[in-house]
Amino acid sequence: MRALVTFVYVFLYTPIVLIVLFAFNSGRSASEFTGFSTQWFGKALSNAFLMDALENSLIVGLTSAALATVFGTMAALGLERVSPRTRAVFDALFAAAIVVPGVVIGIATLVALVEVFGIANSVIASVWPGAQPPRLQLGFGSIIAAHGLFTMALVTMIVKARIASLGRDIVEASSDLYATPMTTFWQIVFPQILPSVLAGFLLAFTFSFDDFIIAFFVAGSKTTLPIYVFASIRRGVTPEINAIAAMVLVASLILILSARFLMRDRTATQ
Amino acid sequence: MALQQETRKKLVTLALVGPAGLWLFVFLVLPFIAMVVFAFGKRAPEGGYQPAFTFEQFANLGSRAAAFVNTLMLAPVGALACLLIAYPVAYYLAVKASPRHRLLLVSLVVVPFWTSLLVRTYAWMYLLGARGIPHLLELLGIENVRLINTPGAVLLGIVYGYLPLMIMPIYVSLEKLDRRLLEASADLGAKPVSTFFGITVPLSLPGVMTGLALVTILLLGEYLIPQLLGGGKVFFIGNALVDLFLQSRNWPFGSAIAVTLVVVVVIVLMIAMRIAWRFAGTRQVDLV
Amino acid sequence: MTRKHLENAPITASALTDEFMRLKKGSVTRRHFLGVTGLGLAAAVMTRFPGAFNASAYAAEDLGTQMSIATWPNYHDPATFENFKAATGVAVEVNVFGSNEEMLAKIQAGASGWSLFVPTNYTISTYQKLGLIEELDLSKIPNFSQASENPRFTDQGKIDGKTYALPKNWGTTGFSVNTSKIKTPMKTWKDFFEIAQTEADGRAMVHDYQLTTIGSALVSLGYDFNSIKADELAKAEELLIKVKPHLFAINSDYQPSMRSTDAWMTMCWTNDGAQLNRDMPEIAYVLGTDGGEIWTDYYAIPKDAPNKAAGYALLNYLMDPANAVKEHIANGAPTTDSRVIALLPAEVTSNKIVYPDEAALTPLEFGAAVTLTDPGRAELMARFKSA
Repeated sequence: MRALVTFVYVFLYTPIVLIVLFAFNSGRSASEFTGFSTQWFGKALSNAFLMDALENSLIVGLTSAALATVFGTMAALGLERVSPRTRAVFDALFAAAIVVPGVVIGIATLVALVEVFGIANSVIASVWPGAQPPRLQLGFGSIIAAHGLFTMALVTMIVKARIASLGRDIVEASSDLYATPMTTFWQIVFPQILPSVLAGFLLAFTFSFDDFIIAFFVAGSKTTLPIYVFASIRRGVTPEINAIAAMVLVASLILILSARFLMRDRTATQ
Repeated sequence: MALQQETRKKLVTLALVGPAGLWLFVFLVLPFIAMVVFAFGKRAPEGGYQPAFTFEQFANLGSRAAAFVNTLMLAPVGALACLLIAYPVAYYLAVKASPRHRLLLVSLVVVPFWTSLLVRTYAWMYLLGARGIPHLLELLGIENVRLINTPGAVLLGIVYGYLPLMIMPIYVSLEKLDRRLLEASADLGAKPVSTFFGITVPLSLPGVMTGLALVTILLLGEYLIPQLLGGGKVFFIGNALVDLFLQSRNWPFGSAIAVTLVVVVVIVLMIAMRIAWRFAGTRQVDLV
Repeated sequence: MTRKHLENAPITASALTDEFMRLKKGSVTRRHFLGVTGLGLAAAVMTRFPGAFNASAYAAEDLGTQMSIATWPNYHDPATFENFKAATGVAVEVNVFGSNEEMLAKIQAGASGWSLFVPTNYTISTYQKLGLIEELDLSKIPNFSQASENPRFTDQGKIDGKTYALPKNWGTTGFSVNTSKIKTPMKTWKDFFEIAQTEADGRAMVHDYQLTTIGSALVSLGYDFNSIKADELAKAEELLIKVKPHLFAINSDYQPSMRSTDAWMTMCWTNDGAQLNRDMPEIAYVLGTDGGEIWTDYYAIPKDAPNKAAGYALLNYLMDPANAVKEHIANGAPTTDSRVIALLPAEVTSNKIVYPDEAALTPLEFGAAVTLTDPGRAELMARFKSA
């Protein structure tokens, strides 16, 4: 069994080691190792298109994750207070948002937005006084909306599970002691759900940052990092891509480790 | 006073669930309705959508039967392959691994998730291509082996990409397992094998079902892995959909297939839950 | 950023003299001269921003700092874009596509983001009809010379006397064969599809592109390359679906697989055929004696181009014979411009892959506009891929 487990870890890490290794290739090819060099890190960082794609992915990831976390957490809290029927409707919609494949979310958003934008643009054009009316287009907005749909459902599920495991008695005890609902929330409930909110944010950001298929449909002329990488695979990958992947890996490792560290710190003090 | 408080409470509730509700309505319900409307439309002469009311698109679904069959075969097979590899790993992590190393080992399962799936799959394109493993085989005297662009390559990519998603839920369910149960079973003279099948397996079933359902459902919409490792030959519904929107520009037919895919996903999910209830005796299948 | 520009700016003494002579003869504009030599950059920087480097300042019109172009795999000399950036400060992002249909789909969905793209002859009338491209303002492309163009390859860029697209190069669609792996000599598309199922089982590639894949299958069956007749298409579909299990891949970017010898045989465009043969002489390029495609790729500017000024600047840059000749040497496709032919080295103009004998071209046909939008062909291709 040990051998099998070892094999699985080798299997999981061989491609990753390979990616990092080729980031240090001196040649132009991402498939033939010709010597050691760190030039591709510099090249990646000075490639305006790659940096643009990275920036776009960060904007989309952070915005959609922030919105999803705030709205998702609010919904998880609010759903405790609504009628069972309303809650069933919400639960079904959230489940749908999670279960419907990304490719379908991408298509549905594209189809709907192209239609809506078509109508809106002709309306704007007909009432616009100037010669160059503004045009609604696919872009950041549509990617954030489509990503946020899935990740908000994710956050709601996670936070709801946490709320369900919280004792109601804490909240009730607090109210009994004449704390206002707001004080109760910020001092009692919020610290309790905070870890799951943060976990939700992290998951939401990861999903959005790595998503290709939804953005592929609704990105319009914007290029996110996965779209850029996909395009590079078609035109021939240079070790720039490996370099940026290695940097993202290191950044996320730091993020995971610090998150774990913070969480452990928190559990230790409780 | 009481009334005022009631109104206030309602307003707060509305403010809490309002944004999420609006988001779900505008970006899930409306687009889905639009997609259904499109599915009854016609392809415009130059491609795109033209309003109409016809069942033509749904009648044409048979022409993508191969993609549906492919997906409905490879998705469960891929999920089962993941399970076969994931179970021993999860078991090892939860039961056998020393507590000191456990956290590190579990983290190592999650880390690959943090590098782009695209880049990792690209690494496999290299490994399976002629310069990768076939080249090593050539050095051993085995010539002209072809690995890339085969169903096997796609299956390997699937197992690689989704393995962590299978390991985690099984690990979580096994971790909750009360070790005293295993000890009690051993004390009562049960053989390790019968303890494993009598106690461990049934208790891990919720995790297994969660993993299977999760991986199968995600695979039903897969596009990238067959595209990159299947050479355009191993086709999933996801690939058929991308093709319809980004090549043949047949939006209504693409919408019809997308609607059908959603129906298929719901059916698969219902079957999975039914099985989970029967075997696990639990009504809880956490999808997250 | 600044450092990079400096790296690119220097120009060798001989090249400088060359450029200067051409400037004096009047064959290049002053702006071109300043751009190529980097002197414009220096001059502009010195006069307007002493001590600061602002690359775009050299241009009369603000070209911005970036633009993107949609084109085909392995189609340009990467140095072209680096030189253009050095000359103008505009970085060019290259997006590659596998088929004209894919380009059209992207542009039809709105906001393609391209400022220049490379459609093939048979698509231009459709782009024009759908209002997706604009008539070109030739005054912004002084390097283009109608007089030196071969009308056979340039006519389809004009509609009702208006110029919508300028030719990049022409070419043919044949197939490339790795002769160290496949011994049977091949001459026709019929051979191609037969060998794909036998000697090259699991090693042959076809394009992810309806025009050439369906067209070649039609030709191999003795039908017209551009046929949209239902019964002939049905026969072609039958053939393609029979061949599919034997194929290595359905992909328009076949160079990597041919180079790694994962694939031994592929449908192939002139330029790729020439590049592969140049680097691996065992890879031969064959024009079907039973038919096939002859084509011209054009440059056009989308109506919604985000950076039209840069699109025009790059187009003008590429129309300069001095730049075009480097493109042709690197990419291996035949030029439509006699000014460029005059500059090409003899080993290129005598290369039969690039400039085949007229007799070899006779059976070939230009793609027909109707194939681009014909639902039958689109659906056939999609069924073939999903089979």
